[in-house]
Parts: sequence; C-alpha cells; structure tokens
Amino acid sequence: MLLTVWRAQAQFEVSGSVTTQAGDPLTGVTVAVKGTNIGTTTDEDGQFRLNIPGTTATLVFSYVGFATVEKTVSSDNRRLEVVMVESSSVLEEVIISGLATTVKRSNAANAVAQIDAKQLTGIVPPSTFDGALQGKFPGVQISQNSGAPGGGINIRMRGITSINSATQPLFIIDGVYVDNSIIPPGLNVVSQAAARGSPRQFDQDNAANRIADLDAGDFQTVEILKGPSAAAIYGARAAGGVVIVTTKRGSSSPDAPRVRFSQSLGFQQILNPLGMRQWDTQKVADFYGAGSAEIQKFLDAQAAGKLYDYEMELYGNKGLISDSRLSVMGGNERTAFYASGSHRNEEGIVLNTGYTKTALRLNVDHEISEALEVRLSSNYIKASADRGYFNNDNTGTTMSIALSSTPPWAELHPLPDGSYPNNPYAPSNFLQTRDLITNNESVDRIIMGGTITAKIINTDVQSLKLLLQGGFDSYTLLTRAIFPRELQFQKDGNGTNGASIQGTTPNFTNNQSAILVHTYYTPSFTFRTQGGLTRESFKRNTIIVTATQLIGSQTNVNQAGSISTFQFRSQQLDLGGFIQEEINWDDKVIATLGVRADKSSNNADPNLLYWYPKASLAVNLTRFVDGLDPFSTLKPRIAYGESSNFPPPNAIFTNLNGVIIDGLAGSLVNNQRGNTAIQPERQQELELGVDIGVVQDRAVLELTRYRKVSKDLIFTAAVPPSSGYTTKIVNGGTLENRGWEITLSADLVRTENLSWFSSISWWKNRSEITELNVPAFVTSAFGATLGTFYIDTNRSATQIVGIGDPDLIEPGDEYVVYGDFEPDFQMSFYEDLRYKNWSLTFLIHWKKGGDNINLTQLLTDLGGTSHDYDDFTLDPEGILPNGPYRISQLGVSAAPFVEDASYVRLREVGLFYTLTGEQIGAWTSNLVRSAQIGISARNLLNFFKYNSYDPEVSNFTGNGLASGVEVNPYPSSKSFLVSLNVSF
Amino acid sequence: MKAQQNNSRSLWMIVLAVFVGLNSCTIEEQVDLNAPSVDGIEANATISELNNLVAGILHGQRNDLDIYLDDHAIIGRDFYRFSSADPRFTADIPGAGSAVLDNNTFYITRPWAAGYQVIRNAWVLRHAVANTSAPINDEQKRGYLGFAKTMQALQMLWLSNLTYDNPDGCIRVDVEDPDNLGPLVSYDEALDFIAALLDEAYDDLNNAGNSFLFPLSTGFASFNTPATFGQFNRALRARVAAYQQDWNEVLNSLAVSFLNPSGSLTLGAYVAFSTASGDRPNSMYISLPNLPSNARVAVNSWVADAEPGDLRLNKVAPRSEPAVSGQFSSNYDVALWSSLDDDIAIIRNEELILLSAEAKIHLGDLSGAIADLNIIRVAAGLAPYSGPSDPESLINEMLKQRRYSLFGEGHRWVDMRRYNRLDQIQTDNPDEDVWRYFPIPASEG
Repeated sequence: MLLTVWRAQAQFEVSGSVTTQAGDPLTGVTVAVKGTNIGTTTDEDGQFRLNIPGTTATLVFSYVGFATVEKTVSSDNRRLEVVMVESSSVLEEVIISGLATTVKRSNAANAVAQIDAKQLTGIVPPSTFDGALQGKFPGVQISQNSGAPGGGINIRMRGITSINSATQPLFIIDGVYVDNSIIPPGLNVVSQAAARGSPRQFDQDNAANRIADLDAGDFQTVEILKGPSAAAIYGARAAGGVVIVTTKRGSSSPDAPRVRFSQSLGFQQILNPLGMRQWDTQKVADFYGAGSAEIQKFLDAQAAGKLYDYEMELYGNKGLISDSRLSVMGGNERTAFYASGSHRNEEGIVLNTGYTKTALRLNVDHEISEALEVRLSSNYIKASADRGYFNNDNTGTTMSIALSSTPPWAELHPLPDGSYPNNPYAPSNFLQTRDLITNNESVDRIIMGGTITAKIINTDVQSLKLLLQGGFDSYTLLTRAIFPRELQFQKDGNGTNGASIQGTTPNFTNNQSAILVHTYYTPSFTFRTQGGLTRESFKRNTIIVTATQLIGSQTNVNQAGSISTFQFRSQQLDLGGFIQEEINWDDKVIATLGVRADKSSNNADPNLLYWYPKASLAVNLTRFVDGLDPFSTLKPRIAYGESSNFPPPNAIFTNLNGVIIDGLAGSLVNNQRGNTAIQPERQQELELGVDIGVVQDRAVLELTRYRKVSKDLIFTAAVPPSSGYTTKIVNGGTLENRGWEITLSADLVRTENLSWFSSISWWKNRSEITELNVPAFVTSAFGATLGTFYIDTNRSATQIVGIGDPDLIEPGDEYVVYGDFEPDFQMSFYEDLRYKNWSLTFLIHWKKGGDNINLTQLLTDLGGTSHDYDDFTLDPEGILPNGPYRISQLGVSAAPFVEDASYVRLREVGLFYTLTGEQIGAWTSNLVRSAQIGISARNLLNFFKYNSYDPEVSNFTGNGLASGVEVNPYPSSKSFLVSLNVSF
Repeated sequence: MKAQQNNSRSLWMIVLAVFVGLNSCTIEEQVDLNAPSVDGIEANATISELNNLVAGILHGQRNDLDIYLDDHAIIGRDFYRFSSADPRFTADIPGAGSAVLDNNTFYITRPWAAGYQVIRNAWVLRHAVANTSAPINDEQKRGYLGFAKTMQALQMLWLSNLTYDNPDGCIRVDVEDPDNLGPLVSYDEALDFIAALLDEAYDDLNNAGNSFLFPLSTGFASFNTPATFGQFNRALRARVAAYQQDWNEVLNSLAVSFLNPSGSLTLGAYVAFSTASGDRPNSMYISLPNLPSNARVAVNSWVADAEPGDLRLNKVAPRSEPAVSGQFSSNYDVALWSSLDDDIAIIRNEELILLSAEAKIHLGDLSGAIADLNIIRVAAGLAPYSGPSDPESLINEMLKQRRYSLFGEGHRWVDMRRYNRLDQIQTDNPDEDVWRYFPIPASEG
C-alpha cells in the first residue's frame, strides 16, 4: 500500500554503468539507494537501472575488492558513469554482526579479524585447516602440538579463557556447528604416559583436533570473533571465541572462472635437526664407567665406520607432498553452484608416517522466486593420518624416547633374516618400532547445511526476512594402533606380547535455527531488528577395544588372549534465543544492543536460562565534519559482551569406575569429585578501539584495547587427597586478560605494473588470576621439580614455576618463578608484492618471549646423547659441561628446564608467475583464461635459540593450559612446493 | 508514522516469538551415561553393588603400590630404580647430589592419593552397608564392616610409614566426611588410631558368622572367611604393636594370627596381579636381564653383606655387565617377582616369626627369640645362630634377618628408622641422603 502511495507522489528512473579504472565493465556491483530498501545489481555489461521515489537520492555502489562509491542523483541527473577503484582497504570488508547479518567493517564496533582465501591458502597449500591459520590473526595464538602428520593445534584467543574447561573456539562453517574434539587412540596402554591405566588418561596420546579434517581450499573467508564483545550472540559456547568460515559459492558472472585446476608437488623435511653428540673414548668412559665394555664397542664401531646418525635415520625422510584440486562453478540467473574435489597425499619426515585426505564439496544456491532463496552446502571428507609413536611415556618405548638413550655405536638395523636386534640401550629398537607399528586415525565425515531465506515483506522502506537454517556434522573416527608381538618391548615378557588398540567414535552434531530480520529505513536512520531461536545437539560415543597377548601376527581384537574395553559417551542439548537491535544513523553512529539466553543439558539445572547481553557503539567522526584531512576515516568504537563456557561433561557426578581383579567386577571411586551446584564460567569483555584511515583509506590503522574477565572459573581444584579424591570440580576464581592489538595495513603502491600491499600486526596479552577461592595449585606439567604451571592469586595464569634456590623465592611463595608461557608480544608481517606478471607473497611471524618447559633435552642428557652434552655454556661456574650440569640441577632447580621459546619464522612464502588469458589464449584456442606457476614454502626460515626441534610444541593435547610442555615430540618440518594453477 | 508503528510491531513480534519458543521446550535432566554414582550407591546399594565396592578396594590397593615399594626400597637401599623415563627415581629419592624430596612429586603424591582412594571406597562401602535395604542380616553386614575397616587400617599403616614423624604431621585419620577432614595427627596418634580400628574390625569379624557374603581375590585365598580374615587382621595388629613397641600386644596378637612356626614362610595375604583381560599385571616385575633404562637393581652391598650360602640371595640375579645410571651402579637385577602374574605380599608368616623373635628379645625371652630366628636362618640355608645372645646382638641379628627375609617388601627403611639407625644405612656415594620421612603432599594444604 505504502509503495503505491509514494510512487504516485514522485519518482524518476536512473540508469548508468560501472567500470574499473581500466574501463572494463563490472558485473554484480550492488547499487543501493541510501536510506531505503531499494537496490539492484549491475548486469553482465556493468549496466544498471533503478526507479527512485522523490526527486533526489544518494546511490551507494559497493563491490568486494573495490572502494565503495557514493553518488548523488536527481531527476535532472539521471545518467551515471561510475568508475570504481580497486582497494585492499580492510575497511571495505564485510564482517559478521549477528547470527544472520553482516556489517561493513567501516561501521563495525569490534575488531573482528577476517582473512580471505588468498591469505588463507593462496601462499602455500596447507596440509590441514588448522595449519593454515597460524600467524594470520592478531590477538590469536595458534600453536601446533607436534610435527606429526594430520595436524593438532591449540588456539588461544586473547589469552587463556579458562584453566580447565574448554578453551578452543567454536567453529561454524556455512552455519553448521563443526566438531573439534580431540579423541585419543588409547596409546596410554602401551606408553603408560599417564602411568598404567585406562585409555581415559588420554591427553598425552598426541591425537589431532578434528577441525584439521576440513579442506581449507574451499574456504572463501575465515572470520574470528575473538571474545565475548563480538561473540556474545553465540552465547554459551562462545567463551573461546568463534571461527566463522564461509565457503566458496558459485557465480553466474561470465568473468568468474568456470574450472580451476591446481597441482602442487613438493617435499617436507625436518625443520631443525639438533645433531648427535660427538663421542670419544674418554666421553664413553665418563658416561658408562671406566671399565665398561661400551668403550670397546665404541672403538670397534668407530673402526668399522659404523657410528650411525640415528637422529637423521629416524627423522631424515624427505616426505613427498602432492596436492591436487579441481573446482567447477557456474550457474544462471537463478541457480549457481560450486563443486570441488581435492586430494592431498603427504609423507612424514619419519618413514611410515603420513597423511592423505580426499575432500569433495558441492554448494548450490537457487532463487525459487524473488522472495525465496535456498542455499545448500555439502562436504564429504575422507582423511587418514599415520602419526607414529612419539611423546612422553613411562615405558621408554616411544621412538623419540628410545632414541634419546641410544648411542651411535648401537646396531639397530635389521639382520639379513629381516629380524631386528634388541636395542641394549633402551626398551625399544626404534627402527623396528618405526617399521612395524601402526598408529592410524582415519575419518569419514559429512558436513551438510542449508538455509532458506524468505523475504516476507519487501517494500521501499522496510524488509522482513525469515531465515531457516540447519545442518549437521557427522563423522566416524577409527583409530587403530597395532604393536606387533615381535617388537622388542612386546616380546619376551617385556610387554604384553603385542597390543591391538582399536577405537571407533561416531560423532553427530546438528544445529537448527529460525531467525527473523526486520530492516526499516528512514532517510537518516536504519533500524535492523533480529531475533531467533537456536538448537544445538551433540552426541559422541567412543568405544576402544584393547587386545593384548596377540595370537601370532593377528591384529583382530578377538585374536588375542586378553581383551579390555572402554566406552565414553556424551550427549548435550542446548536451546537458545536471541534478540538484537542495530541502529545506524547515516553511517555516522552505529549502535547495537542485544541479548541471548541459553539453556543446556550440561548445566546442573538444565532448564535454567542464562543471559548474555551485548552492546556496542561506533562513531564515524569523518562523517560529521568535513576537513579532517588527512583522515578519511576516524572511528572510535566501544563494545561489550558476555558469553560463557559449559562445565565439562559429567561435572556434576561423582563416579565409580569399573575395575576388575581376579575376574571380580569392582567399583572404585573416581578421583574426581563432582559438584551438583556447578555454574557455567562467564566471560565479560570490554573492547575499546579506534580505526584511522588516511588517503581514501589506502592506509588503515586499527588499534584495539580489551579487557576480558572470566568469572566463576571452573577448576578441577586439587582437594586434599586424604578425602579420597584428588580433585573436585568447583567454581573458584576470576581470571583477567588485558591486551592490545594493532594492525597497520596499507596499499603502499598501486600502479598498473606494480602493487604492494602490506599488513603489519602487533599484539600482546597479559593475564592475571584476580581471585582464587581454592588453594594455589600446580597443573598441566610434571611437577615442580621439572617446572610446572602454577595457578596463584595476582599472578599470571600461565606462569611457570619450579623448585630452586630459596633465595630466589619471593616472600610468601613456595616456588621460584622461572617464566611464563605468554609471549611478551607477537608480530606478523604480511606482504603482497606484484610486478607485472610476478607476485611475491610472504608471512613472517615473530613471537617474542614466552617460555616452554623443555624436557626433551633433559631426557636426552640422561641418555648421554644430547647434541650439546659436552659444551660449556650453562654452568655459571664453568665446571660442568651442559649435559652433566642439567642433570646436576635435577631435583635442585627447575631453571635449566624452563626455556625461552621466542622465534621468528618465515611461515609462508610464495613466488608466482601469472600468464593471463591474452598471453596464452592464442595457443589454447582461448580455452585457458589464466595460468599460474610458482614455488612456495612453509617454515622456510626459522630463527630461535630454543634448544630443541621447534619452540612451538605441546606434549599434552586438550583443554586449558595444555601447551608449551615438550617431551620428545615428533619433530616439526618445513615444506617446499611447486604449484601449477590453471583457470579455464 | 504508520511505517514506524510497523517497525515496533515487528520488534515486539520477534521478542514474543523468541521467548515463547525458548520456554516451550524443556530439556530433560542429565543422567550419567558412563558410570554409577557414589551418591546413589551410598543411599541404597544392592548386594552385588556392595560386592563391587569390595572388589574395588582390592583393586585400588594395587594402584601405585609399585611406587610405594620403590620408595621404601630406594631409601632403605634394598634396590635402585633406574628409569630413562623418570629421572627422579635416581635423584630425589636417594638424595643424589643436592636433590631433595619435593612435596608435589609422584613418589609421595601418588601412593598417598591411591591409599586414601581405597580408604574412601571403604567409607562408601561402610555407608552403603549402613543404608542398604538389600536383604542382608546383621552378621553379614559386620562381615563387610570388618573387611572395610581392616583395609582402611592397612592403607593408613602404609601411608604412615611414608610420612612417619614429619613435624607437619603424619596422616589424617578422620576422613569420613570429605568436606570436613580431621587434622593431620602425629605418628603415635596415627598408630593408636590404626590399632583401635583394627580392634574394632576384629570385633566385627568375630560377630560376622561363618562366611562372607562377598568373594575376595586370590591374594586372600587363605583368609576368605570372617575367622581366617580375623587372623590376617591380628597379624597386622601385631605389626602395629611392634611399631608401637607394645611387645606384649605383639605376642597376644600373633597368638591369634596365622603365625605358624613350622608352616610355609610364604603363607600370607597378598595383593593379587594378573595378565587376564582387564586385570592388572605386576608392574614390579621386569624381565631379566633388566635394561639400564628400565631396571630395578639391587644395591651391591645387600649382596656383599650377606652370609655366604644365604639362599635368599636368589632374590637377585647377577648381571653380566653392571647396570649404570648416573652415579649409581649395580651388578644384580632384582628377581623377587618372576612374572607379571606374581602377587605382592602384604604380610606373611616369615614376618610374623620375625615379629615374634623381636618381641621376645624385648621381653627378655632370649632363647625363644633365638629359636624363632633359627627357623628363619635354617630356612635360608644358614647355620643356626651362634653369636652372642645379649639383647643388643640379637636385635642386630633380627634386623639382619629382616633385611634379607623381607627384601623389597617395604620394611628395611622402617626397621632402621624405628631403631634409630638410619645413619647405618650405607649409601654408595657420599653425596646421597637417607631421608627420614616424606613431605606431606602439597595439596593437603
């Protein structure tokens, strides 16, 4: 009704064209009439046509990768020729502002980090999705756990959010909640890393995060909501931040490539070999004793030229990498599709380890009518990782720990009959272990999602949209660890005559939401109201069967003399609702208010609603006053939000564990006590910032300060073990993170032949335990003798303490403070240079400070094989060489085991040469639109003093502080690739 | 205006839809998908659930028993533990160099927690027996209680051996309510409590009828009725009395224990191990020859100090080459256990005969003491005792026989300590220490 009334009053038609600076027409440019719901897009020739009510209007032209243009039109000026200028300005990005809405960054009140496909996967094709994220987001610390093929990382956004509960972010891909569990293979039965026991004690099994399965090559953008101020609308699951992935969609544009093929070939090799100790007779006598037979063995081996470099025998493989990818897209005015298939195959730096992944994707968008649109996404992944057998143990059997006590004159090579000699220096012949064991994780995964958007109301001044969204992530993980009975540590009473540990985990996650978005335009204000309901459900069921006393060479678990089983189930159902109101005053002031409410079966009272408010304000000063030159943007912003973190599954129960003795089934109290009054943890974050742009936003400085408070921290608090329990789940403290994030990005040069985009980020975070209602406690390491994390009031949450000189212990303290896992600061340099057909892109990542607990060197010292055993750099009195010095400090001081883990690394670098269609079109009958050939490398250059393979390491996987403790890991690698990309 | 009304009407409709939707769905109360809960069992257990708790206690006794025994053997210099995976066995525990015992390291925290976990399980059993509505009579209930209390006393005795007369206190004995724990009491108070608890348990067992309603492990094959389990209870009581230097009580308790001077020395109660499915192998056993990276090797002086021909030297096996770890070296592997299925002794006849000898020395029955000692000597292939028969010499001889008879079973350190002779324990290197007690675990607060 309103529409016809207005049209009758006055309206005029405007038409025009949109081109690039070079004069090429631009298709798909959004043309909107400011202050109304009226708009269109340009056609294949860059033309548009619009009917506008009234006599004057402002048209806004926007297109990804180009600077937004505003033009005034009137009934006297109905023809427009618009030239759009390419821009890499971050302020042109469109970022998430709600569950169903986006906002241009120039209007955003949060420092949301976003990267596109080019930065994500465009420099070096990544092995796993997690690896593609490292170093690319200011405020986010992403560190890998080891070099084992198949991934495994720890992500911390704006510091550590929780000591014991989940700290990993929520991953959402095209609206589907994607599972990121770490599911252990149950190696503990053999390694006894957590001492003998059930596979429950899993966090040293070095399993991968399941997010690693995803194929980043299909991703268009990745956005990170780092804290509750941006993520509050995700409520009870957003404590660790939210990673939102949008995958590539089809396009009907004739400019878009229809078929793309990429092939990369290369290899990876150990990143930082340490070298072996150089022995001589005296050293052998010193270590093994003056009369030891080892002296003669050493001399014999030396004379026979049989001193082996076992480090390189174990870690020296040059693993081949092959990465192939084919994508097809197309469509017509109503339907668009994107389909892709990829296959990656990589060998590890240890023989018989490696990773393969095949992924298929089909995304289809269809417009049923003007008012009804459907978007479907589907993804199938099959991945398999052979991860070897590394890290801590208590049996001396992992390959790396066996290596640490094996001198170079040991003869471990297979005998002519194919059998392996026993390693007299360790419980395991690691060459035999390498050649005979299997430790495989394989996953079959389907992720599907769909959105129906219905435009219920669509007039010149308002619109009401209904979004129905749903999806699921379903996978089955099979873990298979086979330790054959002929292994040194399995046969002759040294073990269990073989072990076959096979796990099966079906995991099913699904979520649905219904969201209404109402937008109402007035000439100077736009109001956008949204509200919706969400439902998320999670189910997991892990069954691990451990067979020992294997029959012959059988690996079926029923071909065994002893079988034990383990099952872990978890189920969770969450229901939530939210409302959000955004008010935009002419792009001058943008305010948002919202609230979310959540209930969950994981809470002690499953029907109690928990509320999460949010509010934000951004002010574009340059829109108020002209002549603020040189500033093109000057935007102070402030945002506040809350989110929470569920209690761990089963936190409310005190269990009895099932045990067996002499065939009698038994129940033994679990050492963790439940708590029926447990509350979710709650995060409150205030973020202040300013975005400053100069020279039409060619250079933009984003400066952000945040303060994030985590209240009601859930601790697995140590309780006096004389209670019969060692821990109890409690709400017991408050943790505060404060930090700075600064990003300076600039289009330094932009000419036809030469362009240079540079983005430099600097970030730091400091945490403090401001309140602690449980006694200070050590956590996440191996005790104070070797250095440990220590949670104490008014101290950093990530401080590392240990035993040591009483003079160094501050009054009132129990231990010496030796360091902190938190880096002093981190910095990244992303540079993208193009000259004619050449492009050079690289990412340098600098982590300054931050300490690790390095126990690899200690175990290697005790085995007498450390590469620096005989150097004199540590003993302040200069008497003892490094190896004996470190050993002498064992039980005296943890100082030698806490080490600075700073690094500077060239994470990614790629040099590409592009041939355009014009250059090669002639030879290929215009079939090929462009071709690109190049070389790239990951971790090509690394600078660190840290005395091991890689300062980025973790023996533990999982939640909380699980980072920065090193015990003989699978060493990290660097990789080199040659790539060919062809677009048709 | 009309449009603005439209806007606020949409807003309110959305608000309404969200909250009606949120409150119209309810989520069911969570149940534990993975295990039974303590609260449920304590409130009302079935007979099979009570028996599960009994088996849980027997199983729990095995947790970290190896660490407990290693602690004793290393400080008492019976044997060393070499482990490339954990250097603290050869640093902190023998006090090598300037290493000292830490209050937050596995060698004290793990056995301490494991012991109290068993004590907690026994409390759950005691509470469950008190509250159950299962059809069991009073005698049967007292059978459960006598078992539970005896096991609590045994665990407390083991723990008190580690922390002894630590000035911070020895152990907590009042631990029924996990939210309201009693204080750390002194060693003497701990022993008094343990003795009283054993007596209380003995009274229960004497009123528990002819049989238990629950099965026990094979380690208790000779003690699986209230009457025979009572003999085991009295054997422990005799050991406690000896620690209390209440020599008359030692003899009184031994009289109703399973002491049998002419019986097998290995008769006794054991912690059972097995390689059967789901069961627990004996982790004290390491196949011969031990590798230096993972070894239990006898302290050389234990062999050197033995009388020639002592058959008990078969508890170690000579090595072809010394095992070396840092400053420690040994020519003998420990061969006390012969397979992963071997059981570990809790208390056995050999100790009871030696306790009898010890009490008799202190009570002046020297010839009776010598007779007891000779049972042990003859069984070890040695000639009867021919040394001086004054009490001091006999105590030396008794301690020596205990050193060889009870090698590796958690006695040497305790024995030398209760006779104030820790300074007589020989160390291989001058920079080592012989600790008197372990620190109280840090998390006891």
